[in-house]
Amino acid sequence: MAKLVLKNLYKRYPNKRNKEQNDFAVRNFSLECDDGEFVGILGPSGCGKTTTLRMIAGLEEITAGDIFICDARVNDLHPKDRRIGLAFEDYALYPPLNVYDNIAFNLRAKGVSETNIRAEIMRIAPLLKIDDLLGNRPVSLSGGQKQRVNIARAIIRKPQLLLLDEPLSHLDGKMRQVLRTEIKRLHKEINCTTIIVTHDQLEAMSLADRIAIMQDGQLQQYGTPLEVYNNPVNEFVAGFIGEPPMNILTVIITESEGRFFFTFQDNDFRIAVPEDYYPVVRSGMTVRLGIRPTDLLISPQEKGSAAVRVAVFENLGEECRVSIKAGEEFLTLTTTDEIRYRPGDIIRLEVKAGRTYLFDPVSGDRIWGESR
Amino acid sequence: MARIELTHISKRFRKVIALRDINFQVEDMEFFVLFGPAGAGKTTILKIIAGIEFPDEGLIKINDEVVNLVEPAQRNVSMVFENYALYPHFTVYDNIASPMRSPRHKTDEATIRKEVRRVAEMLKIEHLLDRMPAQISNGQKQRVAIGRCLVRNPSVFLMDEPLAHLDAKLRHFMRAEMKGLQADFNTTTIYVTHDYMEALSLGDRIAVINKGEIEQIGSANEVYYTPANQFVARLFGEPEINIFGVDLIEKENRLKLKIPGYEHLFDLEPDVERMLLKYNVRELNLGIRGTCISYAFAKEDDDFIPGTVYSLEPIGNMSILIVDINGEYIRIVAPNDLDVELDSDIFVKFDLKKALFFDRASETFIARHNRVHYVSEAA
Amino acid sequence: MMNMKIRQLSLSALRNALLSLYALFALFPIFWMILITFKSDAEMYTTTFQFHPTLYNYKEVLLRTDYFKAFLDNIIVSSGAVLVSILVGVPAAYALARYKFKGKEDLAFTILSFRFAPEILVILPLFMIYQALGIYDTYFGLIWVYQLITMPLLIWVVRGYFEDINVEIEQAAQLDGYPWYTVFLKILLPLIKPGLVAAGLLAFIFAWNSFTFPLLLSGFRIETVTVASLKYIASDTVHYGQMAVAATVAALPEVILALLIQRHLVRGLSFGAVKG
Repeated sequence: MAKLVLKNLYKRYPNKRNKEQNDFAVRNFSLECDDGEFVGILGPSGCGKTTTLRMIAGLEEITAGDIFICDARVNDLHPKDRRIGLAFEDYALYPPLNVYDNIAFNLRAKGVSETNIRAEIMRIAPLLKIDDLLGNRPVSLSGGQKQRVNIARAIIRKPQLLLLDEPLSHLDGKMRQVLRTEIKRLHKEINCTTIIVTHDQLEAMSLADRIAIMQDGQLQQYGTPLEVYNNPVNEFVAGFIGEPPMNILTVIITESEGRFFFTFQDNDFRIAVPEDYYPVVRSGMTVRLGIRPTDLLISPQEKGSAAVRVAVFENLGEECRVSIKAGEEFLTLTTTDEIRYRPGDIIRLEVKAGRTYLFDPVSGDRIWGESR
Repeated sequence: MARIELTHISKRFRKVIALRDINFQVEDMEFFVLFGPAGAGKTTILKIIAGIEFPDEGLIKINDEVVNLVEPAQRNVSMVFENYALYPHFTVYDNIASPMRSPRHKTDEATIRKEVRRVAEMLKIEHLLDRMPAQISNGQKQRVAIGRCLVRNPSVFLMDEPLAHLDAKLRHFMRAEMKGLQADFNTTTIYVTHDYMEALSLGDRIAVINKGEIEQIGSANEVYYTPANQFVARLFGEPEINIFGVDLIEKENRLKLKIPGYEHLFDLEPDVERMLLKYNVRELNLGIRGTCISYAFAKEDDDFIPGTVYSLEPIGNMSILIVDINGEYIRIVAPNDLDVELDSDIFVKFDLKKALFFDRASETFIARHNRVHYVSEAA
Repeated sequence: MMNMKIRQLSLSALRNALLSLYALFALFPIFWMILITFKSDAEMYTTTFQFHPTLYNYKEVLLRTDYFKAFLDNIIVSSGAVLVSILVGVPAAYALARYKFKGKEDLAFTILSFRFAPEILVILPLFMIYQALGIYDTYFGLIWVYQLITMPLLIWVVRGYFEDINVEIEQAAQLDGYPWYTVFLKILLPLIKPGLVAAGLLAFIFAWNSFTFPLLLSGFRIETVTVASLKYIASDTVHYGQMAVAATVAALPEVILALLIQRHLVRGLSFGAVKG
């Protein structure tokens, strides 16, 4: 159990083609995890998240910046002295040893007595639901079971910090769902500060107390799942979080009779700009408009809503998706009513109050309204 | 334009049975989806229709004509392969033009140019025509592969997981795109996928395949609301449907439902009760989706079953609430702003109007409320 | 920063020095061979670089003996052997890569095993069979026996290339309406070209350099350059200068061929270059 602080971390790799230049895998990355917190580091592949994790574990040299565990600077501490449990993406179990010996391996190396080892394994095996598997060899285990053993091996040493690197990405959909829940439960049971690295936004959202979203080596946003979902700070975060993904389209602000509208590129329809944004928009301005599919409603009223033509209707069981053509792109919304629309049907659109996002078309930064 | 029919198709690869007695008929202009987990035999069926794999038994008919012995080139089918199968040494233009240059579909170069332009515009790949396949992204490759199929008028389109290699976001948009194109295809299409959303969204009818056998053929509504068995039910929907054992108790001449570990007896809908009486078993499995379960933190009436919060997983626009009821983990869809302590007490209520009833031994579908509504809608 | 730059510079200097040293080591025999072609027999054994350059050896070999005939013979049998190997080997490689049949791997291994046995081991029975069949000392006979050298190489390299091509590309071409021979010529052949060129060149070099077979299975009407070079070893003296000329001229076609198709060669020898 420990508090983890990362201060202005940098990781530089020399550029192979151009020796004058440097590639930064991680740039100015700062993060604080409270004692017992579950933090997710989320980003697309190549964003520097695994490098960050490896620097925390001490497996990667730090170019600049500091890492503190329990307020002690650990930059120069050997990995084995950092008291960190690490579970990698692939399981790396020792094939000739059975599950029990795999878990015991590190404890034996440290000279812990067999009775203590047995007690420890018996304590954590039920937590991970592997108590029936202790005598089995790794080859006979399923992917999900191997990952459980792998995690057991990481937590057996009672680490002050548990690091999980894409622990679910090798598993099929169903197993992933189950193990996700198990990891969440495990964190509650052992209450150890945990960091999970993942590229799957669903995994990060469902597991972590707070999520750090990375892109190109830099931290984009750090907040609770609901915060990053409801208040993304830029277009990247907005587009990365959420399934189905947020609609983000280029629109032009137009003015008529003193009111502002988002006008879509082929001018087919427009949506009223919430008054909240009036101070920051002007006529003729181009912005990126973001609306989540779940925040677009099919409105029964005639007034104050835009009439549009259904381009695509997808029946996905209880939830259905309606897509509207806006120029070259689609504007998608989800609906749970029983109405089955057909392409060409006219519907009226409405956006949930306070659920419109604007982004700068160049920088991608969020343009905030008045109410912030 | 064609009608496709498969009768008693079986195939084995050495000792492994790949397909066992596959029968179905695809109507002219229909969009027919073959859906199932990896290794179910979906691609093999597609290749048998194309003529590049041969069945050990059974007949393939295109427009009532048996084509078992017809060369693939003569069957007039076109296929999008899972890995696109573009010719690496041809430009995008030449790849798309390839069918029209073959002896079978020989066309003059002027027409070819016009046709390639037409499909390239439709698929928005006009700017890529001079590139080589290695120089374009996966999403673009996929569109080139579709383009190669669209340039001529085949009697049937065969599509093998065309969206499988795209990332989640692109897949979402390409699915809508595909659905939009569907109207323009104007041809019978057979589409293979392992993604339930693609299957539901695109298919006029869906055949669910498992281990070389057809589990069910039906419309999106039929497979989703009246799945033939537990396997089919589990394949559709996220989070996965909850399925657990329940008992039937006869009391005062009425059939009641009992959830193990909870003494209250639940009333059944009259049509469900009739079906279950006819079926005459006392031990059943109940299937209920996460969207059809409500919850409360205080007991409102006897329909609310006590449990504890096992986990809460926010996933954006909603949360998955997992409740432990006597060792059974029930996944419930909850609003995303729900805040609850793990292991705290909670009460859940199943909406039995939307529940599915399965035979416990065979795991086959028995009944649901208002079944006719979902089945008839398709007809 | 400065330190790092100096370290990088000195590292690359060291690397270049080592590579130059190796190049010197590798090129020296060739250099020496060319050098002695210009020496007279009298100066042959001097190791100083001072001598009287003469074209006598060239005159002797190229004009006074039938070396040109041997050169031509060698071209005929070597290219003939490679051609036959390509015509037979490419379809064979395709079959081994694509079809499943009983004993496939055994067959493939048997073909490879032709390269295992030393030629001298089988030469006596071959000699007797050739005599009996009447194909001793004929182009046909030599081209045939050269298949032992060229065919296994070609089949094994090209097979790997066929295996690298996704079968679905062929199937797509079939569905596009092409008959099988067009699929083979228009789709498959261009994709295996780098491998085919590399294997063909290597096969040609092996055939060109072959010594035992032409020595013992021909020699009167047909003579290859490797065998012809032997003539310069007389009973009293060895004409190293003339031998060096013969060797230098013999190496020329290989060098020219290799330079011409260098581009394919580099790509062809690094496998997996056909990924689409």
